[in-house]
Amino acid sequence: MGKLNTSHLIEAIIWLAIAAIFFIYSFEFNQKIEIYKFGATAWPRSILLLLVLVIIGNLFYQRANGSKAQLGRVGISEDDLDGADKSLSSFINIGSFIFLPLIFAWSLKPVGFYAATPVFTALVIILLGERRPKWIIGITLFIYALIIGLFMVLLNAPLPQGTVSPFYDFSAFMLRMNTQLQHLF
Amino acid sequence: MIDNFLAGSAALFGDPITILIFVFGVIGGMLFGAIPGVSMLTLAAILLPFSAGLEPAQGVMLFAVIYCTGTYGGAITAILFNIPGAPENAPTAFDGYPMTKQGRAGKAVGAAVLCSAIGGTASALLMMAATEPLAKWAIRNIGPPEIFALVFFGCAVASSVGGKTIWKGWMSVLLGLLVATVGQDPVGGINRYNFGMTDLAAGIAFVPAILGFFAVSEIFIQAEKRAFGKYSAPKLDVNFPTFLELWKYKIAVIRSIFVGFFCGILPGIGATLAAFMGYGEAVRWSKDKESFGKGNLEGVISSETANNAATGAAMIPLLALGLPGGALTAIMVAVFQFHDMEPGPLIFYNSPELIWVVFAAMFYANVSILFIGLIETKTILQLLRIPFHFLAPMILMLASIGSYIGRGLVLDVMVMFLAGMIGFLLRRSGYSIPGIVLGIILGKIGEQNFAQGMQMVHYDLVTYLSRPICALLILAGAITLGTGVYKALAANRTKAKRT
Repeated sequence: MGKLNTSHLIEAIIWLAIAAIFFIYSFEFNQKIEIYKFGATAWPRSILLLLVLVIIGNLFYQRANGSKAQLGRVGISEDDLDGADKSLSSFINIGSFIFLPLIFAWSLKPVGFYAATPVFTALVIILLGERRPKWIIGITLFIYALIIGLFMVLLNAPLPQGTVSPFYDFSAFMLRMNTQLQHLF
Repeated sequence: MIDNFLAGSAALFGDPITILIFVFGVIGGMLFGAIPGVSMLTLAAILLPFSAGLEPAQGVMLFAVIYCTGTYGGAITAILFNIPGAPENAPTAFDGYPMTKQGRAGKAVGAAVLCSAIGGTASALLMMAATEPLAKWAIRNIGPPEIFALVFFGCAVASSVGGKTIWKGWMSVLLGLLVATVGQDPVGGINRYNFGMTDLAAGIAFVPAILGFFAVSEIFIQAEKRAFGKYSAPKLDVNFPTFLELWKYKIAVIRSIFVGFFCGILPGIGATLAAFMGYGEAVRWSKDKESFGKGNLEGVISSETANNAATGAAMIPLLALGLPGGALTAIMVAVFQFHDMEPGPLIFYNSPELIWVVFAAMFYANVSILFIGLIETKTILQLLRIPFHFLAPMILMLASIGSYIGRGLVLDVMVMFLAGMIGFLLRRSGYSIPGIVLGIILGKIGEQNFAQGMQMVHYDLVTYLSRPICALLILAGAITLGTGVYKALAANRTKAKRT
């Protein structure tokens, strides 16, 4: 096993699983193309083959060197957290922070951008450790005003309006206000 | 040439509306490039419908100017926050961000301003002098096999930077290439890997992917450091590099101008590969290779000179052949079409005044990077004073808008945050985010050109490789790849001998 540890094996299994899923799905579009002998599957399958070879190469490297970086590599991100205080609350905090944007993205269709933005902004600020209500409200309103001013008023960018009442009505109200503002100038 | 340039300058500065559009493009490109979370592409996507109401020369000129100044603007966020404003600024972050952490942000940004201006201006001059002969040369000598070979070389270079090992570098690039296969295949239009989702048939747009992998993952990394008590705010510094400090890198600047210009000429390649190649060549020829990625000013200089040198060159395939070299030049094709025009060889005969207004505007835009950039930089550096917990929600919101606006799909916002999560996990494990992004960008181009090349040579690999430029580029890629693998295997053997 050399310096291979469980995390290296899990990493390799995940990569191999990705390769396997993509390979199996490639049969869904395994059709001939009249003008191209290799068809639609040749390119992705070649990539998958190379990926499997590289995964094996990586495993051999890890068996000899563990997780150590190869000498002479440039541009490696240094995100070392050695010696950090890894309490349960820290994990919950970072976990919530990472999943919150996905909930925001999911909510854009039903709730719309105009209603979801201030809630999301305030939650991000809270999760990043700010507890003073004045600052949370103030910065949320500042960011909201900045974004609305730049994208809605100045650039007229089309943003998701939502499909569910009362959020849709709120978006419609915002757009009406914008139209009236534009008429003033 | 000088007469044409003067006529273009007169047309540009003779009309107040055109001047206003030029100034708007210069400042808009710089600002959108320098605001973390959005990029010049966001601005271009928003402005595209409005360009229908402009004169053709004004419309094309506006986007050309945004391209020049936006390419520079993206360096600022790459240096200050490790968030490249555009993929072409990704290699700038390799050394720029470590410099910010060391309290040398002013030096890095100052060098980026100067080198962007030098690279862009040199490229604009070369473009004015040689668009027609270069276009003719490119038509004769550059075909799909050469473009595929350059994509291969680019992937080999990208795999050699960013990842902890050559294997992780290649896994990152291959993941990017795999993501690029989602959507219709470029030869037969067959749907691949859309998993029953209609929106995925158009593929994964690279703007959300870039924003996710770079901006969102960086926010997650910083948030994690904050949660674990390891966060340290970047240090503010407004000292620009001295002339003598920059003079040391004159060879790197000249080399990057040629590398950038060559990559820019090739249709479909654009400034991203130019920046990677410029950076890769700087590492290859340096006597102090170990210092790259740890805050070496030459890394910033090479990357920024090369990507701006590609902006002028990218106009050559666009104007002379009608082939866009990247996302922004593709938007410019749409501007031409809005006005019932097609970029291509005839444009030089049918609308020479348009061409020279664009050339003149690009020249002045690059010169203005130096003056406006130096003034703007002092202000932009103050962004480092904003506490992270106030800056992060703003970046996330801007990035959400930036990814939504391109195609008007909520799916793109979802893709961006998913890319952010994946990027966060991969960065923690030593994979290369720039490698993934370059794979996504080059994947379709590589496949399309490989297929066209194979059709051209009737599937005969010997004929394919007997084309000199193609063979040279494949060889260069193979050497880069072989050296990396040899070093990794040598590391295994040394370890085995010791144990």
